[in-house]
Amino acid sequence: MPATVDTVLLGCAHALHARSYAGALEAGRSGRLVGVYDESAELGGRLAVELGVDYYRDPQHLLESLRPAAAIVCSSTSEHRGLVTMAAAHGVHILCEKPLASSPRDASAMVRACGDAGVQLHTAFVSRFYPVLQEVRAVITGGELGQVRGMVGGNRGRPPLPPRYPRWITEAERAGGGALIDHSVHVLDAMRFVSGLEASEVAAEIGTLFGDTEVEDSALVSVVFDSGAVASIDPSWSVMPESPWDYDFYLRVLGTEGSLSIATGRESVSVSGQYDGRSFVHVPFEPDIDQTMVDAFLRSVQEGHVLDPCASGEDGLRAVELATAAYESAATGQFVPVPRDRDG
Amino acid sequence: MVKVGIIGAGYIAASHADAYDTHPDAELVYVTDPRPEKSEALARRYGATVVEHSDELLASDVDVVSVCTPSPTHAALTIAAVAAGKHVLCEKPLARSLADAERMVEAARRGPGMLMVGHVSRFEPDHRAARDAVMSGRIGALRMMSQSITSGFPTWSQDGWFADPERSGGPLVDLAIHSFDYLTWVCDAVPEQVHAVGSSRPDGLTDYAVATVRYDNGALAVVETSWAHPPGHGLVVTTELAGTEGRLAWDSAGTSVGAMNTSSGATRHFSQLGSRGFHRQIAAFLEAVMTGGPPPVSAQEGLLALQISLAAVESLRTRSVVRLSDIAARADS
Repeated sequence: MPATVDTVLLGCAHALHARSYAGALEAGRSGRLVGVYDESAELGGRLAVELGVDYYRDPQHLLESLRPAAAIVCSSTSEHRGLVTMAAAHGVHILCEKPLASSPRDASAMVRACGDAGVQLHTAFVSRFYPVLQEVRAVITGGELGQVRGMVGGNRGRPPLPPRYPRWITEAERAGGGALIDHSVHVLDAMRFVSGLEASEVAAEIGTLFGDTEVEDSALVSVVFDSGAVASIDPSWSVMPESPWDYDFYLRVLGTEGSLSIATGRESVSVSGQYDGRSFVHVPFEPDIDQTMVDAFLRSVQEGHVLDPCASGEDGLRAVELATAAYESAATGQFVPVPRDRDG
Repeated sequence: MVKVGIIGAGYIAASHADAYDTHPDAELVYVTDPRPEKSEALARRYGATVVEHSDELLASDVDVVSVCTPSPTHAALTIAAVAAGKHVLCEKPLARSLADAERMVEAARRGPGMLMVGHVSRFEPDHRAARDAVMSGRIGALRMMSQSITSGFPTWSQDGWFADPERSGGPLVDLAIHSFDYLTWVCDAVPEQVHAVGSSRPDGLTDYAVATVRYDNGALAVVETSWAHPPGHGLVVTTELAGTEGRLAWDSAGTSVGAMNTSSGATRHFSQLGSRGFHRQIAAFLEAVMTGGPPPVSAQEGLLALQISLAAVESLRTRSVVRLSDIAARADS
C-alpha cells in the first residue's frame, strides 16, 4: 500500500472549490489534509477549524513545519504563481486551481519552476474527468470520426457573485479577467484533450451583457487550430437566477467521417416543486468529478508521474495563452495568433 | 382567387406549390423551369400548366410569382416580375451578391409589384413561439443568442449548384442566412460586425462554419452552419436565446412529439413542424397581396441578412473581423 499523501491547502480564496477538494481528500483513501494557509486569517482559520487541521498565516512556515508531499492551490488567480513556485522550491507536488495564472508569463514561470524542482504541476481541469469526455477522446483517437474539422463547446454558469462566491472572482486584477478566462479554459482544454490539436489563432467578442460586473460576463471565442480545424466556445456567465440548472458543459464535434454531441447536464432529473426559492430544477446525478480528479492527482504523486487523464501545468499554460490572445482580439477587433511558449 | 406562377420547379418549389394548393384563396396556374421534365412533374401534381419561358409567365395574368431558382438568377427574374406588376415571393437568399440585392431593394421601392423574401424561419411555429416569448418580455432584454443548423450535403440542387461557392456561397450564404435573419429579427438590433471560422472540404467548398455577430446594442450571436454532417444526422436545429431575466431554448429532437421504430432498423420521428412554416409564410404573403399591405419580410431585411452572410464569407477569406458598414460600402463603390 502506497504511503498516504500528506496534503495542504495553499490559499482558500476559492472557498467553494477548496471545500470540495478538501472533502475529496477526506472521502478518498490516498491522501489526507494536514494544514491550511490563507492570507486571510478569517477565511483560512475558519476553514481549518471546520476541517480539523491547523491554520498557518505564513505559507513558508507551513511548508517547513508540515513537510507535506502535495499542495492544492485555491488562492485567487493572481496569487497562484507565488504559492506554486514556493511549494515547488520545497519539493511539493501541486494541483493548482484554474486558470493556472492570469498571464502566460506567470503560467510559464510556474511550469518552469516545477520542472526545475522536479515536482508535478497539475491544473484543475475537472471536465477531463467526465467519463463521457474520455469516451469522446477514445472515439476520436480510434479514428471513428476521421479528422476533426470543427467543434462547438460551452461552459456557462451563474455570475459568480457574493455571498456564494468571493469578491475577487469578478475583479480583473486578481482573477485575470471575467467569464472568458474563467470558463473558456475548461472548454479549450476539453477540445485539446479530445482532439490532440493545438490552437493557432483566435478571435473573440466580449461584453458585460447580463449584470454590472467590473469584468466581462459574456464572451464568444472562435479558435483556429494548427490542423485547420476550427472551434467556437461560449464561456459566459449567462445563467440567470430563474434557471433550473446552475451550469452546463457541452461539446459538439464534426469530423470527416462523422459527428457527435454531448451535454453533461442531461445527467439530471427534472423536479417540479417549491424548494429553495425555485419551483423547477434539474437535479444532477453526474459523477463527482472533483473526487475523481483529486484521487488521480494523489495517485500521480504516489506513482511519481502525471497519470492520464490529469491535466499538466503545460495544459494549464496552453489555456492561459489562448485566453490572453482572446482578450487581445476582443480589444483590437482582429484575429490574433496564439503564442506558444515552447519551453512551457 | 389569386393566380400564382412559380419560376423554378426544383426542391423548394414543391413546398411553395403545396402551400398555394392548400390555401383557399390561391390557385397555382403556371410553372416554368429550364428543365421541362421538372416543370411538368410539378405542374401535373398540382393541376397547373407549363410555360416554356419565364417571360411568358410574367406576361400572363398571374397576380403573384414565387421565384424558386438558384440564387444568382433571383435578381433578374424578380426585378422583371415586380416591374411587370407581379407580387413576388423570392426565395432566400435574396441574391448572391450585394449589388444584385440592392437593385432588388430599389426595384421593390419602385414597384408596382410587392416583393417579399422567403425567410421561412420567421413563420415556423417553434421560431415564432420563441420570438413571441421574447417580445412579451419573458426573458428580459435579449443579450446572447445561438443557433445551430446542421445537415448532410443537400442532394437536390440542379447540376449540383449548391457545391459551387460562386453560385451558392455554401452554407454560410444559403443556410446560415436563416439564422442571421431570424436572430436579427428577434433581437431587433442592428448587426455591426462579424467574424467567422470554417472548414473546407477537399474541393474547396467551405461546408462548415461558425460565425459570431455583434449587434449595436451589445448583444452577441453565434451561428453554426453545416452541410458536412453525415447522412444519418438529418437536419438538426438547436436554438438558445438568453436574456437578462431568463433563457429559452429548443432543439429538433426535443420538439419531436414521438418516434417509431420498425424491424427494418429505421427510426421515424413524428415532427409536427413539417410544412407548417411554408403554409404560414405563403398565407402571410397572400394576405399582404390581397390587402395591399407591406411585405411581411421586406427586400431591405433580405439585404441585411445577406450582408451578414457575405461579411462572414469575407471574414473567412481574409481571416479578419469584418464590419458590416465596410461590406455595404464595398457594394456601393
